[in-house]
Amino acid sequence: MATNKTERLSKSQRQIVWEQFRKHKAALIGGVILIFMYLTAIFAGFIAPYGLNEYRKFPITQFQAPAKIHWRNPDTGRLTRPFVYISKVARDPVTRQRFYEEDPSKGMYPIKFFVHREKTEYKTLGLPFTKSTLHLFGVDEPARIFLWGTNNLGKDVFSRVIWGGQISLSIGILAVWVSLIIGLFMGSLAGFYGGWVDDVIMRLVEIFSAIPGLFLLIVLSSLLRDPKNPLAQAFGLKMTSAQTFLMIVMVLGLVGWGGLARTIRSLILSIREMDYASAAKALGASEARIMFLHLLPATASYVIVTITLAIPGFILAETGLSFLGLGPSALDTSSWGLLLNDATARGSSIQFVPWLLIPGIPIFFAVLSWNLLGDGLRDAFDPKKRR
Amino acid sequence: MIPYIIRRIIHLIPTFIGATLLAFLISQLVPGDFFKQLELQPNVRPETISRMRDRYGIDEPWPVQYVKWMGNLLRGDLGDSFASNQPVTQILATPIKNSMYLVVFSLILLWLFAVPMGVFSAVRQYSIADQIVSAISYFGLAIPNFFFAQIIILGIFMFRSFTREYFDYNQLILPIAQMTSSNHSEMSAIGQAWDIFKHMLAPSFVVATSGIAGFTRVLRSQMIEYLSSDFIRTARAKGLGRSTVTYKHALRPAIIPFVAGIGGLLPSLIGGAGLVEIVFAWPGITPTYLKALRQQDIYVVLGLLIVSTILLMIGNIISDILLAVVDPRIRYS
Repeated sequence: MATNKTERLSKSQRQIVWEQFRKHKAALIGGVILIFMYLTAIFAGFIAPYGLNEYRKFPITQFQAPAKIHWRNPDTGRLTRPFVYISKVARDPVTRQRFYEEDPSKGMYPIKFFVHREKTEYKTLGLPFTKSTLHLFGVDEPARIFLWGTNNLGKDVFSRVIWGGQISLSIGILAVWVSLIIGLFMGSLAGFYGGWVDDVIMRLVEIFSAIPGLFLLIVLSSLLRDPKNPLAQAFGLKMTSAQTFLMIVMVLGLVGWGGLARTIRSLILSIREMDYASAAKALGASEARIMFLHLLPATASYVIVTITLAIPGFILAETGLSFLGLGPSALDTSSWGLLLNDATARGSSIQFVPWLLIPGIPIFFAVLSWNLLGDGLRDAFDPKKRR
Repeated sequence: MIPYIIRRIIHLIPTFIGATLLAFLISQLVPGDFFKQLELQPNVRPETISRMRDRYGIDEPWPVQYVKWMGNLLRGDLGDSFASNQPVTQILATPIKNSMYLVVFSLILLWLFAVPMGVFSAVRQYSIADQIVSAISYFGLAIPNFFFAQIIILGIFMFRSFTREYFDYNQLILPIAQMTSSNHSEMSAIGQAWDIFKHMLAPSFVVATSGIAGFTRVLRSQMIEYLSSDFIRTARAKGLGRSTVTYKHALRPAIIPFVAGIGGLLPSLIGGAGLVEIVFAWPGITPTYLKALRQQDIYVVLGLLIVSTILLMIGNIISDILLAVVDPRIRYS
């Protein structure tokens, strides 16, 4: 009975951490933004009104500005359900420059919710049984609704940003696992065995960190994406978009494991000398048992914080690579960095199409939220920062 | 001190060999044989090709190639560029110099902004100003620098539309592309320097932002830690002035890691300047590197990898030495 009572009074580590974390307003906001962003990425097909590569040849929609959404009926002046007008192409009489203007004579096109659009069938997460044509919103043809304008081919920027989230948001999480597995393995080997194993592994880390990360990423992703490279030929890879995606994940993880291995090593080194570890050794526990039951669990809180703070770095690296056209995205996919490349390709005419910079905003929020979340977790795990 | 430096350098030799080997192995991933392409060109004599094949040991197994290449490297010969038929060292000199301008200037900006911001927000912890500073630093950490560069360019254009509208001034306030104006060669020496400086302002500011953000955050937490420590209380109790306590007693130990970090920052800023160089069309290392990769000009790529690796190692040695100099707690015996 007595033990039962003390158990009720004391809190488990997890409860304390959760309590501390809940007090961290910024981290909670970050978490909510992330949940929202990841849900949008998962249900991209439903939320995006148009397909990733959908465009219309006639009437053209190139470089159309973000749609104006009207709330008032022009005849009665009363509030009505939101609607858009058809846009028509016009030319400036002096400069002959093309621009779009609304054409109220064709009537109002109300924004409808939960519409079916046969042209843009999609699958959620690639699962075959989720095939659907239902979209969150849309307008009747021939009107189109471009919330964030269109790019040089007349493709809807909003839809492309939503689809791009699938790549830009998932790659950080996947790459962090690659570097976590390598880093944990190498770091714990080095810390546990010491001696020449330690020397060799730490040298390897040093070698990887001796070449500047960006250059290593660029050279690897640009050489490996060519299906004629010796490695791809050895494995018989054709570098489809899925293979390129996995390749970039591996490259990011491979370039990033060094720091993690270094810290895991020093953690293991200090934990190894602790009384409970020596006790386990004296009791005759096997090496594997000590490693997996005693040493590695002690690094857990540290590892959680580190990977949370590493994900935004990977997201930035991916967008940077995609920005150079060396990312995981090919013709049939999209990513936020690749979309920003469209903007730079405009050169000085970016001032006339500023909406092409919109894809940078979700990058900013994703990275910011992961940072906030990681900081919150770090503070929650840190006994010195208890509030 | 000198034995310490020598030992550090000797310690780096295996790492250097490993890094060059890694870079060399990566270069072996280049698809196809460049010389096969060269043979198809009518204006290249077969003797030239066989001489080059011989020089790099192309037909031999890769370990032999590596040793040959390494031998050339130790003699300061990074090979020739296939695309432009010039020695790689000659091709790389200008872009490296250009990148250095950018990096050194953004380092200066980094220190100019980050130290006051960090100290200020540590001294007035939890004030509104402190919260603004930490909001700025979150912003700086989260925004991809190439995106920030694009925003700045857009901002400069929009400012021009504004001044054109209201002040009839139809010029960009800052140049946004390249390193020099089109009439650069006609300027006086001072004019040329001023011209480059103007071109440098926007990109180096962008390069410095994420550094400023990180620097400020760490300096702030370091300062807060020192400001609440015993020796600061003692100093205050002795009746020392506020600024003496802050700047002489707290800032000095707090800044040690950053002084040591200068060496490490140099090469990392070169990497970081990368994408910003692309957006601002700055003729630096990264555009050269990408161009060489596109042309499969493998010795230029390899040369850049090696030079940046050497820079990084020199930077690490410099930071070790600086750390040993500024931090009396570190003994270098």
